[in-house]
Amino acid sequence: MAATNPLDRRDAALGVMLIAPTVLIFCAVIVYPLVSALYLSLFRIFTPTLQGSFVGLGNYAELAASPEFWRSLLNTAVWTVLTLALQIIFGIAAALMLNQAMVMRSLARSLILFPYFVSTVVAVLVWRWLFNDLYGILNHLAMWTGLLSMPLDWLGSMPNAMISIVLVGAWKYFPFVVIAILARLQTIPEPLYEAARIDGAGAWSRFTDVTLPQLKDVLLVVILLRAIWDFKEFDLIYLLTGGGPVIATQTLPLMVYKEAFGLNEMGRASAVAVAMMLVMLSFMLLYLRVSRDGERK
Amino acid sequence: MTDQSRNQMTRRTLAGLAVGAAVATPVFAQAQAPVTLRWWSPQTAPAQREAYTFQIRSFEEANPGVRVVFEATSDEGYPAQMAAAFASGQVPSVVTHLPSFAVATYWANNLLEPFNDVIQAIGPDNFYPGANRVYEITPGQYAGTGIGNSAANMMWLRRDLMERASIAAVPRTWDQLRDACRRMQGGGVFGAPLPFARNSMTSLIFICFVHGAGGQIFTPDLQIAVDTDPFRNALEFYKSMREFCPPGATGYSWGDSLTAFVAGATATGIYTGRVLANVAAQNPRIAPFVTCHNYPTVSAQVPHWTFNDFPSVMIPKVAPNIAMAKRFAAHLFRPDGYIRQLHAAPGHVLPVLKTISAMPEYQANPLIEANRAAVDLMSESAAAGHNLGWESTAHRPNTKAGQIIASHVLAEAVQRFVINNEPIGQVVATTAQRLEQLMRA
Repeated sequence: MAATNPLDRRDAALGVMLIAPTVLIFCAVIVYPLVSALYLSLFRIFTPTLQGSFVGLGNYAELAASPEFWRSLLNTAVWTVLTLALQIIFGIAAALMLNQAMVMRSLARSLILFPYFVSTVVAVLVWRWLFNDLYGILNHLAMWTGLLSMPLDWLGSMPNAMISIVLVGAWKYFPFVVIAILARLQTIPEPLYEAARIDGAGAWSRFTDVTLPQLKDVLLVVILLRAIWDFKEFDLIYLLTGGGPVIATQTLPLMVYKEAFGLNEMGRASAVAVAMMLVMLSFMLLYLRVSRDGERK
Repeated sequence: MTDQSRNQMTRRTLAGLAVGAAVATPVFAQAQAPVTLRWWSPQTAPAQREAYTFQIRSFEEANPGVRVVFEATSDEGYPAQMAAAFASGQVPSVVTHLPSFAVATYWANNLLEPFNDVIQAIGPDNFYPGANRVYEITPGQYAGTGIGNSAANMMWLRRDLMERASIAAVPRTWDQLRDACRRMQGGGVFGAPLPFARNSMTSLIFICFVHGAGGQIFTPDLQIAVDTDPFRNALEFYKSMREFCPPGATGYSWGDSLTAFVAGATATGIYTGRVLANVAAQNPRIAPFVTCHNYPTVSAQVPHWTFNDFPSVMIPKVAPNIAMAKRFAAHLFRPDGYIRQLHAAPGHVLPVLKTISAMPEYQANPLIEANRAAVDLMSESAAAGHNLGWESTAHRPNTKAGQIIASHVLAEAVQRFVINNEPIGQVVATTAQRLEQLMRA
């Protein structure tokens, strides 16, 4: 029923006024870019002039028929799954270690966050030097110890290039997992472990039967968030391999960049971005469902 | 008039003055606001930046109220940055050192200001004959002008390593080059630093090899010409050189390739005259043994082909303060600053003004004096040089060349054949198809 009381009407108007800035900002930073991307994807557009012609779903049809798009999607999936798996494994291992009473624990907890805080450009430069064929320490050590007779091409041939970006990605982002898991580990009640010990559980059993179930909720959220972030990772891969050799490490964000600025095809780039958004949307729905289930519990 | 009314008057007058001042201040400030010009260039070595600073300072002194800001771009990054700048309307005032084929692409899309009056201000007769022909895409109108010449695919040789390998003559053909690389390779030294990456350098070097095989990428009327024996021979040659290149050459760009030779990791190099300055500064031990030559071709009957990217100056059409931008563009050619800029990397960017080349101030550079033969050879080669935007004097300007390089279609052809070992027929067919798409787009 409409508010007839002047006071109610004033309150309603005040409510609208108070919420208006949020709605406007939401429209400006979320709705407008989204609608723009959808709109642009229906055109063939030359990036520098932003002029072009309407092609309807032509860009999507081209993408569906493009082996490059499917290869990039596959690369994105491979990169996301592998780097995420390593982040979770290293993250849990490091968090468990840092949860133990140890000398200089605070310093260790601070230092382990270093890769996450360092700029991606700096991290990539450091890793490129480590991987360098002529002066890199990795090849130098491998040859010095007799593991290799010739330097290894870490970034320019497959499968080395994919392995390298996955490893660097895992190194760069596992501290996020450490932070989240460590925070949860510190809240697990100690009596649970004591009870397990009394029941004769060893270290592995205590981990699988006590720690992991306690970590389940936070782990799900971490996996979903990191999966979304890894899926749209651009700078690390672009700076390490540029998507090469050929398109062997080209993920969808790199394809968007190449289409928009390399080939000046803003429409097709938008279509790839929309396709990416649809995949990410599935992650988001999963995340929302998990959050809702968590709240119900 | 009472005291009260006088006080009111005073208050009213002060208030009026305050309001007037408040209104007038922005107008005054606007009138006095300095003009800011943004200058973009991918040539950003420290010595070059110093020369640019000198040119900026002298221009600002001569034009009070004008401020010039230098912003770096890169050989690999400029297509994206320029595209974003044009799309957003936030364009730089002056852009220098981009290859001529990039200028042609922007001109063809009506994004550039005609350069005729800048060339007039510099003095058309001061340029080497034909120096601006590559920029005359529309008859009678210039899309830009050259700020230098470059000979990008000169072969650099280590004489000491040649002697050690008992190689008497400089390789003239690909067979001789392969043989020389084989004999000089060893003891931590590779034969050559050719790039096999998905980048512009690989594309440009491959174009040189296609021409070195007697072929071309496009016919003079811009029909695709890659399904040919020379194109296949160039791919075969590129592949045959892989064993003489460092493993990491699959990721090499200009900087990596240069560093590999300068550091002494390869017996031959392929680069512009920047090698001279870098060897002198970073590895003077090898400087006495370094010599410069034209890159070999498939046989002595096929003439050398030099890749000159014709480093340019251009002004975007929507740049603010066009008149001042043009004045600054012309200022870049003033002898005191221009010579400093050229001396910042002697032999790397060669003068386009014959008046400058003849000046004792230009000649009086220790590196140029010590490497007179090399600099002369590069100047001569660059003057006769071409690039994908203008493959020969018979060719029409190719306004899609910038996009073709940025798409990496030619570099990918190299990678598919050399790294992925795809059949040559398939590589040629894919390349032809993608070039066709790019030309049609």
